[in-house]
Amino acid sequence: MTDVTAAVPRARRLSLRRRRQFAGVLFALPAIVLVLGFIAVPIGQAVYYSMTQWDGVTATWIGPSTWSQAFHNPTLWTALQNNAILLLSVPFALGIPLLIAMLLHQRVAGWKIFRSIYFLPTAISWVVLGLVAERFFAYEGTLNSIIHALGFSSVNTNMLGYESTALSALGITFVFTMIGTNTMLFLTGLATLDPSLEEAARIDGAGRWRIFVHITLPHLSRFIQLAFVMTVIALFSALFSLIFVMTGGGPGYATTTMEFLIYQTGFNQGDFGTAALYGLILFVLTAIVGVIQLRLIGSDE
Amino acid sequence: MTTSLTDTPTDREPRPSNKQPRFKFGRVVLFVVMIGIAIVMLYPFWVMIATSLMSSAQFLSGGGFSFESWTSLTATIPVGQEVLSSTIICTSSILIILLIGLPAGFAFSKLRFRMSTLVFLGIVSAMMVPLQAILMPEFVNVTRLGLTGGYAGAVLVYAALGTPFSVFLFTTYFRGVPDELIEAGIVDGLGYFGALWRLVVPIAIPAIATVTVLQFIQIWDDLLVGLLFIQNTGERPITVGLAVLAAGRTTSIPQLMAGSFISALPAMVVYLVFQRFLVKGLTMGIDR
Repeated sequence: MTDVTAAVPRARRLSLRRRRQFAGVLFALPAIVLVLGFIAVPIGQAVYYSMTQWDGVTATWIGPSTWSQAFHNPTLWTALQNNAILLLSVPFALGIPLLIAMLLHQRVAGWKIFRSIYFLPTAISWVVLGLVAERFFAYEGTLNSIIHALGFSSVNTNMLGYESTALSALGITFVFTMIGTNTMLFLTGLATLDPSLEEAARIDGAGRWRIFVHITLPHLSRFIQLAFVMTVIALFSALFSLIFVMTGGGPGYATTTMEFLIYQTGFNQGDFGTAALYGLILFVLTAIVGVIQLRLIGSDE
Repeated sequence: MTTSLTDTPTDREPRPSNKQPRFKFGRVVLFVVMIGIAIVMLYPFWVMIATSLMSSAQFLSGGGFSFESWTSLTATIPVGQEVLSSTIICTSSILIILLIGLPAGFAFSKLRFRMSTLVFLGIVSAMMVPLQAILMPEFVNVTRLGLTGGYAGAVLVYAALGTPFSVFLFTTYFRGVPDELIEAGIVDGLGYFGALWRLVVPIAIPAIATVTVLQFIQIWDDLLVGLLFIQNTGERPITVGLAVLAAGRTTSIPQLMAGSFISALPAMVVYLVFQRFLVKGLTMGIDR
């Protein structure tokens, strides 16, 4: 290799490097164009349109005052509050999978079959899981059957029907939908844990809890961070399917999150300008989480 | 030796690990707990199958068994057409994602140009932008370009949303390929396209599989893009068909469940067959 390059005159080597760079630009160009056109440009457009009165066809410039107006809209605050309340489900969306991964890691007989079963719901659309969840919470659904079987035959719940309980039902469904992915992440993390470490701690007389806290958890920290970020991002941007089929954002605005509010404002009320503005608020929220994730996956770049 | 004999059994015995004899009380309890979790995780499938095996009347009265919902399914939900639409959309989007992501990954890892790192970081950051954040401009742009009449609009949006991840994955993957291999190929007269096609793509099969499986499940299961970027009802993918029927709240629930089961089937098969590629894709970048 070195012999060849040394033999080539300097000028040709330079042009070789040029050609390589040219090929690089050429190969990267389609990706750059697609991401610019469909992601970067729309962000810029959203900034402009957020300061206009816009119905999708004609946009009238209003100015930054649209922003202060938007923040006076109580519905926006309801949606933000719903997102904040749903964050309470994150510890469950991480804790339950962590427990399940620990159980799977014990490698009880048939654990591979159990693993496949536990991951299976991950393949299904959240549209379908939302439909199933609706059946679960319905008046004549599984939840009430369970309550009746436990002996409380006079108790009848209809969680999706009431403002006070609909958001909890959505949160529970969300936790269920995240179990597969997060269990998978944690199980992968556990598989990279050196068993001799635990063995050594055990011989030194450390109990199960101490081994878990001082060896397993620190080892899993990167996986837990990744799962945390993925869960929060899903919470902000993947609930649309569940809300669409389970509640349509209601009752009232009880289950309207930011992403659903964007859809409603734009496509039900035809107020594209305000919807674009809400989109930017969602963008800022996810960007904060995204920066954390970039730090995680980009630490070795 | 003698001290070990006086030790209490609990101190001496290592706690159950995979090397221990299997039939112990603790492991039986564990097994039962795991079956309990399995029942919870299989619940959606049970609901879909059990509910679909009732007629609408039986469903309302609370019991019975009938194949009616399956035999009359296509009259309510155009399942065949919807599955076909989903397949066309998935296949086209994934092809574009691969055709764009592979050369870009090659460029960012082996054919670096001025500011290529910055451009790469820009593309990777786009991974964090949820569609809802740019939904309104995106919708208006795609509609103005006249792309919502067929599959093109939805396919391009899916391709754009999937490209950042595929570029990230391929770039990371190709960094592990020795530079000398590419150099040799180019010196041998393969050219850059030849090197990409003959040298890089064959090595990248596992990464290609990972991108394909992850994107297939993502796109097959998605609702928002199909709902907004495909205007003709006759070109709707299956998740959109189901969601719209469900939101209308007039369709028979057993039929809806039968349709749900059909929509879940392809993704489940892909998932079970290619499980390991999925795990790889999810933990890309942190498990090394």
